[in-house]
Amino acid sequence: MNNAEAKFILQGYRPNGTDAGDETFCAAVEQAGKDPALGEWFARQQAFDRAVSAKLEQVMPPADLRAAILAGGRVTAAGAPRRTWWTHPAWLAAAASLAILLAVSVALWPRSAVAFENFAVADARNSATHGGHGHETGELQATLNNPATPLTGKLPIDYGMLHDKGCRMVQFQGRDVLEICFNRNGVWFHCYIARSADFPRLAISAVPALVELGGAALASWTDGENIIVVVSKTGRKDLQALL
Amino acid sequence: MRDMPSEIFTQLVDAHYAPLFRFALSLTKNSADAGDLTQQTFFIWAKQGHALREESKAKSWLFTTLYREFLRSRRRAERVTALEDLGPVEADPPAPEVDVLTGLDANLVVEALQEVDEAYRIPLTLFYLQDLSYKEIAAMIEAPIGTVMSRLSRGKAQLRTALARKEAGARGKVVPFQKPDTRKLS
Repeated sequence: MNNAEAKFILQGYRPNGTDAGDETFCAAVEQAGKDPALGEWFARQQAFDRAVSAKLEQVMPPADLRAAILAGGRVTAAGAPRRTWWTHPAWLAAAASLAILLAVSVALWPRSAVAFENFAVADARNSATHGGHGHETGELQATLNNPATPLTGKLPIDYGMLHDKGCRMVQFQGRDVLEICFNRNGVWFHCYIARSADFPRLAISAVPALVELGGAALASWTDGENIIVVVSKTGRKDLQALL
Repeated sequence: MRDMPSEIFTQLVDAHYAPLFRFALSLTKNSADAGDLTQQTFFIWAKQGHALREESKAKSWLFTTLYREFLRSRRRAERVTALEDLGPVEADPPAPEVDVLTGLDANLVVEALQEVDEAYRIPLTLFYLQDLSYKEIAAMIEAPIGTVMSRLSRGKAQLRTALARKEAGARGKVVPFQKPDTRKLS
């Protein structure tokens, strides 16, 4: 596959990382990770796409549209020739109560972290475009690089300081996520840090969960204040050694 | 909603009416028509008592129905050209920087999207809504996957050009001060 073909394919790669597991993109994404010019193009493309998607999401339907659809749905149903037992007002009232209960439950139910994990792996795959590895992250960088420190201990994360000091940032669902590359025994890892408060409904446990995604491996956990995701492109074994 | 409990309908509306409206807005270029088209889509669902329960299938069904209703509401006489036969795409035409784009009003971005040719705008809008994969988009517009990719490529090129124009226009009016991006890389 040449770069022109890879670009053609990567145009269809959604910026929220949902396509990370789609094998159509794997070779092109991998190539973007190896070829700096292609990688830079892809990073620009994703940033642009992400910005457009975020703008589109800001467009709100008219305030009364939802109510009109629901009311219209009832009228449409009333015009239907057959009336079933559950359309009795008593059942409808019960169903409405249930709907409210369901809506509240759905709203409060923790969300799977899969989208965030896909996003982190997709970004880590483009590490060639991350622009090098600096020293702005101080104590945290030293801790991450220290082969004697297990990552599951309390990490010296000061999100505000890292955010202000110029740590690399990526956006996930409109929120800033910090990314720090670190190296242990010659292997590069990518650590993503998000504030738990920014993703209150993300179902992430304090115990690291290790999963494999298309050849990469990642561990995710929370220290209460932050959500931490560490990605290894070399697989599960290298990552497991850190935990 | 004779074959479908009302709570499912409510959940369906809540989950999809906003992205459907945004898609409709990009098609109709008019908020009132977009609202009508969105309602019409849900009424078809209600009338047919659609039995689909799977979230992903319901989503595809709604987007496809909205698209078909839009096509139906339009004059058949309108010209639909085999746009893939047009000339090559301009390689990465000038576009505003992402930071500038972030500062643009959402309505300006939607206007720019609406300036993209319809054949490209449909897959492009669906792509940016991020609800459907390129395979689902291909199935919806009944085009091969390669055609979808090609239209995305051309659509993005047109969108960049339109955004650059909007950004230049906005700069001529009032431009909010953007703090220079001083972020370093880790």
